[in-house]
Amino acid sequence: MTNNKNKTTTILKKTGLYTLLGIGVFLSMFPFYWMFIGATNPSGAIFSMPPNLVPGDHFFENLRNLNENVGIWRVIMNSLIITLTFTVVSVMICSAAGFAFAKYQFKGRDPIFFMLLLAIMIPYHVTLIPLFELMANVGWLNTYQAVILPHLAYPFAIFLMRQNMRSIPDSLLEAARVDGAGEMRIFFTVVLPTMRPALAAVAIFLFMFQWNNFLWPLVVLGDSSMYTLPVALSSLVGMSRIDYGQIMLGTTLSTLPIMVFFLLLQRQFISGILGGSVKE
Amino acid sequence: MKPWKTMLAGALSVSMLAACGGNDDAEGGADGETDPDEVSGEITVWGWNVAASSMEIAIEGFQEEYPDVEVTVEDIGREDLYDRLTVGLAAGGSGLPDVTMVETDRLDNYIAEFPDGFVNLSEYGFDDHEDKFAESKIETMKNNDGDFVAAPWDIGPAGVFYNIPLFEEAGVDPDDIETWDDFIAAGETILDETGAQMVPIDISADDALFRMMMNLQGTYYFDEDGNIDLHNEEGQQALATIKEMREKDLVANADGWDGTVTATVNNQVATVPFGVWYAGTIMDQAPEQEGEWGVFKLPAFEEGGNRDANLGGSDLTVINGSDNEQAAYAFVEYFTTDSDAQVNALSEYGIFPSLLEAYDDPFFEEEDEYFNNEPIWSLFADISEGVLPANYTSDYARALRYSSDAQANALLQDADPAEALREAADMIANETQRDINE
Repeated sequence: MTNNKNKTTTILKKTGLYTLLGIGVFLSMFPFYWMFIGATNPSGAIFSMPPNLVPGDHFFENLRNLNENVGIWRVIMNSLIITLTFTVVSVMICSAAGFAFAKYQFKGRDPIFFMLLLAIMIPYHVTLIPLFELMANVGWLNTYQAVILPHLAYPFAIFLMRQNMRSIPDSLLEAARVDGAGEMRIFFTVVLPTMRPALAAVAIFLFMFQWNNFLWPLVVLGDSSMYTLPVALSSLVGMSRIDYGQIMLGTTLSTLPIMVFFLLLQRQFISGILGGSVKE
Repeated sequence: MKPWKTMLAGALSVSMLAACGGNDDAEGGADGETDPDEVSGEITVWGWNVAASSMEIAIEGFQEEYPDVEVTVEDIGREDLYDRLTVGLAAGGSGLPDVTMVETDRLDNYIAEFPDGFVNLSEYGFDDHEDKFAESKIETMKNNDGDFVAAPWDIGPAGVFYNIPLFEEAGVDPDDIETWDDFIAAGETILDETGAQMVPIDISADDALFRMMMNLQGTYYFDEDGNIDLHNEEGQQALATIKEMREKDLVANADGWDGTVTATVNNQVATVPFGVWYAGTIMDQAPEQEGEWGVFKLPAFEEGGNRDANLGGSDLTVINGSDNEQAAYAFVEYFTTDSDAQVNALSEYGIFPSLLEAYDDPFFEEEDEYFNNEPIWSLFADISEGVLPANYTSDYARALRYSSDAQANALLQDADPAEALREAADMIANETQRDINE
C-alpha cells in the first residue's frame, strides 16, 4: 500500500518535472523552428493567422534570391575569416594580459587595471567616429584588419581571465621557475592548460561578440563584397518592401556556426563548471 | 592597443581634420552648361532595396547621354545607410559615396547637422528644373538660402487601401466615404457585420495617421517659420478623431511594422491609410489577395474639404568632397528629371515620382490587376498634385517621438487630446528651444 503510494508520487513528480522540462525545451526551440519555417516559405507566409507551422518548399528559391542579393557564401567566408582570426588572437592577448594583471607585480598595475575597468563602461558608440576616422586615415576602410584589430584587447575578457588566473597557486609558478622554465614557457605549458575551461568560456564569448558584431563592421566595411553576415542581412531591410523568406534563411544560416562552435567547446565549458566537484 | 588609447588618437585626428576642413566648394560647372561628352569619371550611389534597383535600371539610359560616366549603385539597408552617412559626414567625408538618397523628412536634420556635407545643386543649375515638380515637394529640398541641396525624387501621396471583400460583406460603398465622420460610421458597420476593425495603428510608436490628418488640413508639427504648431486646433481635431475611432473599437493596436502587415494580410483590418508605397508591401506579402484591394482618397474633415496628403518620400543628394562632383550631379539631374527613368522606377518597383511630366505617361492610365483593375496610379498622381506643403525642420525626429507619446496618452491613458498635444509641444520646446505658437 505505502509502496504503491510512493510509486505514484514518484511518477507524479517525474511527470511534473518532465512537463516543465518539455515546456522549457519547447520555448527555447520554437523560435528556431519558426525561423526555419520562415526560411522555407515565401515572404508573406510568416504573417498568416493562424500561423503556418509546416515547412514550405521555398528553401532553394530563397537561397537563390539571397545569394543573388548579397552573395551569401562570400559573406559567410568573410564572417568566418574575421571571427576565427579575431577569436584566436584575442584569446591569446586577453589571457596574457589577464595573467600579467593577476600574477605579476609591476609599477602602476592597479591603476592600469582600474582604467581597464573604466574602459568596459565606455559605450560602443562613443568610440565609433574617432575609430572610423583613424581607420580612414590609415587607409584601412574595407579591410579585415579594420574589423579585427580594434577590439582584440577586449576589456571584459581580460577582466575575466585575470579573475580566473588569480586562482593559480603562486607555488606552482615558483616551482616552474625553479625548474628553469622561462616566463613564456610557464605561460604556455603551465598556465594555459590549467585554464582550459576559462579559455573556452572566453573564446565562446569573443566568438559570439565578433560573429554578431554589427555597427562597427557596417560602418567600416563599405564594399558589399566585404560584408559580414549581420551587415549583409541588415542590408535586406529596405523600407516598405522586405523579403522575409530571404532574411529568415540568412538568419538560420548565421546561427549554425555559433551552435557548432559552442558544441565543440561545450565539454571544456561544462567540465569547467564541474571541475573539482567530482572525483573520478 | 587599449581602446581608450585608440579613442584618444581618433579624437585627436578628428579635431585635426576639423581644423583643416571646409574645403572643396563646387568647382566649375557654375554656369550649368556643360557638354555631356566632357563629363567623365566613376561615381558610387547609395540607396536601399527597390530604390537602389530602380536607379540601377536607369544607368543604361544615363550612359546614352553620358557615355564616359561609370555608375555603381550600392544597395544598403535604410537604417544602415543613415548610420554610415552620419558617421562618414561626422568623420569629415571618409568612406562616403558620391550620391546618396535621403528621405525628405530627414533632410533638414542632415543639412542642419552638416551644412557643408552636401553640394549646392543650384550652383550646377538645378533651379531650371524647379517648376517640373510638385510644389509641396520643392520647398523641402532647399536650404535656408533658397538653394537646392537635394533633388526631389519620390513622394508618398496618401490614400486609403481598403479590403474589398470586407467592404462588400458589410455592404459599405467606399465612394460614400467623404469625411472622417463617414469613415467612422462605415467602420462601425464593418465591425458589426464582419468583426474586422477599421485601421491598424502602432499606437505608442508611430503617428502616421495623425501626420496625414494634419497635412490634410495644411498644418504639421511646425509652421512655416519653424515654430511648434502640432497642438493647434487642426492637430487637436485630428487626434480627437483618432481617439473617437479608438473608443469605438475601430483601431487595431499593431505592434510595429510587422504587426501592421500581419493585420493587413489577415483581414483583421478593413482599411490601411498609408502612402502609395504601401501598395508594394501588400503585393509582396499577400500575392494571393490579388483583386481584393482597392484605394480611395483620404476622407476630409468637412464636406468638400481637402483630401490630398503626403506621407514619406525621398531625394538624391551629392556629397561634398566627391571626386567626380560633376558626374555625380549629371546622374542626379538625369535620374530625377528624366520621365522614362521615373516611370520605370514606378512600373518596376512602385516608387512614385514627384516629376510632374511623368504623370502624362500612358502607364498612369493603366488599370492595375492587383488592385481590382482600378487605375490607382492616376489616382495617386491626382493626389500628389494637391498636397499642401509641410515644414519638416531639423527637429522632425524629436517631434515625431513626442507626438507619438501624445497619441499613446490620448488613446491608451484616456488623456484629453488637447492637453496631450500641449504637453508634447512643451516637451519639444524644452528640447529644441523653438517657440510655441499660442
